Amino acid sequence: MDISIFTRAVLAGAALLVAAVPTSAAEPGRLLASQCAQCHGTNGAGPGFEEIAGKDIFNDLIEMKYRPIEGIMERQARGYTDEQLRLISDYLSTLPGNGDD
Amino acid sequence: MNTLNRRQFLKLAGAMSALAAAPRAVGATTTAPRVVVVGGGFGGATLAKYVRMWGGNVQVTLVDANPSHVSCILSNLVITGALSMTRITLGFDSLKANHGVTVMQGRALAIDAWGNTLTVKTSSGNKVLPYDHLVLSPGIDFVPPVAGYWDANLTPHAWQAGPQTTLLKNQLATMRSNETFVMTVPKAPYRCPPGPYERACVVADYLKRKGRTGAKVIVLDANAGITAEPEAFGHAFNVTHAGVIEYYPNAAVQSVDSRTRSIVTSVKTVNKAKVLNYIPNQLAGAIAATLPLNGAGFVPVDPLTYGIESYPNIHVIGDSCAVPASDGKPVPKSGHMANSEAKICADAIVRDFNGEAPDANIATSSACFSPITNKTSSWLSTNFIYGDIFDASGKVKGKGMHRVDAGEAAADMVDGDSYQDMFKWADSIFADSFI
Repeated sequence: MDISIFTRAVLAGAALLVAAVPTSAAEPGRLLASQCAQCHGTNGAGPGFEEIAGKDIFNDLIEMKYRPIEGIMERQARGYTDEQLRLISDYLSTLPGNGDD
Repeated sequence: MNTLNRRQFLKLAGAMSALAAAPRAVGATTTAPRVVVVGGGFGGATLAKYVRMWGGNVQVTLVDANPSHVSCILSNLVITGALSMTRITLGFDSLKANHGVTVMQGRALAIDAWGNTLTVKTSSGNKVLPYDHLVLSPGIDFVPPVAGYWDANLTPHAWQAGPQTTLLKNQLATMRSNETFVMTVPKAPYRCPPGPYERACVVADYLKRKGRTGAKVIVLDANAGITAEPEAFGHAFNVTHAGVIEYYPNAAVQSVDSRTRSIVTSVKTVNKAKVLNYIPNQLAGAIAATLPLNGAGFVPVDPLTYGIESYPNIHVIGDSCAVPASDGKPVPKSGHMANSEAKICADAIVRDFNGEAPDANIATSSACFSPITNKTSSWLSTNFIYGDIFDASGKVKGKGMHRVDAGEAAADMVDGDSYQDMFKWADSIFADSFI
């Protein structure tokens, strides 16, 4: 392996570093809440099952998490800590819904 | 030091890649950060969409060999004629129009991890795409049988949807009474754990509804038992479709002859089946298979970024990757999970461009509905949370995605409501990934 290739790679990496300017952090809960979108639509606004954008669903999620399993949501709710469910519902409540159930 | 061995060089190249991927300005207008994605299935499409949604001015190029993606989700219902191919064909136009993704039709040929470029073979020659982060979501490839003559154009697997789906549909349509449909279940891990059992059910249901008396579905499973939803599918095999489905576990494939539609396994041999739906064992899709693989043929990844050791700006998501998990609780390979992983990876890439560490407060999940007849469906749901993962004796073995078990799980319900929910779920995940 020729060392010059390695040197070129270092230089290429250094050149890219020059453009670095960090910007603001992602909103808390956004990534966790995105895991609801497979069934409730991107940003919780459908198409799919119940619309979850623009409403506070924390109590519903907690109820589903701790009641006996009947359907998928009782299982899905068990996949998150209570704190994560709070982050998810807080984030979703800030999103615009379509006013659907 | 004038020479490096391959391993040292890969490590250095990886370190250089890390430099290349170090903070770039999402807000900068001069040189926008570049993400290249290979594979426009549920993983790659979701990755492209969410990097564009969350990443400001990040440029995203999606590379796929085909002009559109044909979904494996719902494809068993195309095989039985219940749905059309157009119902499961998902274009890339919305990714372009709604999200500003650049789509390139072509086949990924080679990764230059030193120069941070991907070479793509297109109809107008080879193109070299520079990237800051490269995401591979190429799905699966097949391991040929150890002996015999295998040609998927004669004996379709239909485990990548598209022309293979149509071929199997057409072959099934030729079946008459007392004829035999033989299928294999690959050795785990394979794409879509419930999929083969679902296929056996809907094919059996089709043969009954068509009045093909005495026709059989012979299921040759390389695994020790039903690998997904054993209660639901066990009931379907033993009760709902009793007398039609014959199930053989521990059936390791020894040879296949696609010309005569014959198969030899360790427990059962079938000569001259009417239809042989041989679904081979699987490994990472071709371009990902050029990276370091685990013993099962998949690419081990960091669960926080889906990055690869020594190549921190190359990521593998979906069926091709192997996520560290607790023993006996593997992360399933499914379209839903690929979508889930794509969001973790997209978020990690955007954070990296912003000079932030990846988020460790993460969860992934998979849910699906499996038709058992033309009116009923079962469902499956599984969740993973980042944290300690455990070996078989319960000792912590590291960090990864630990499956959260739902305690005393209710028996999976098979009913008509689930059948309708299946379409709601499919439409939602189609839209979340492609629109």
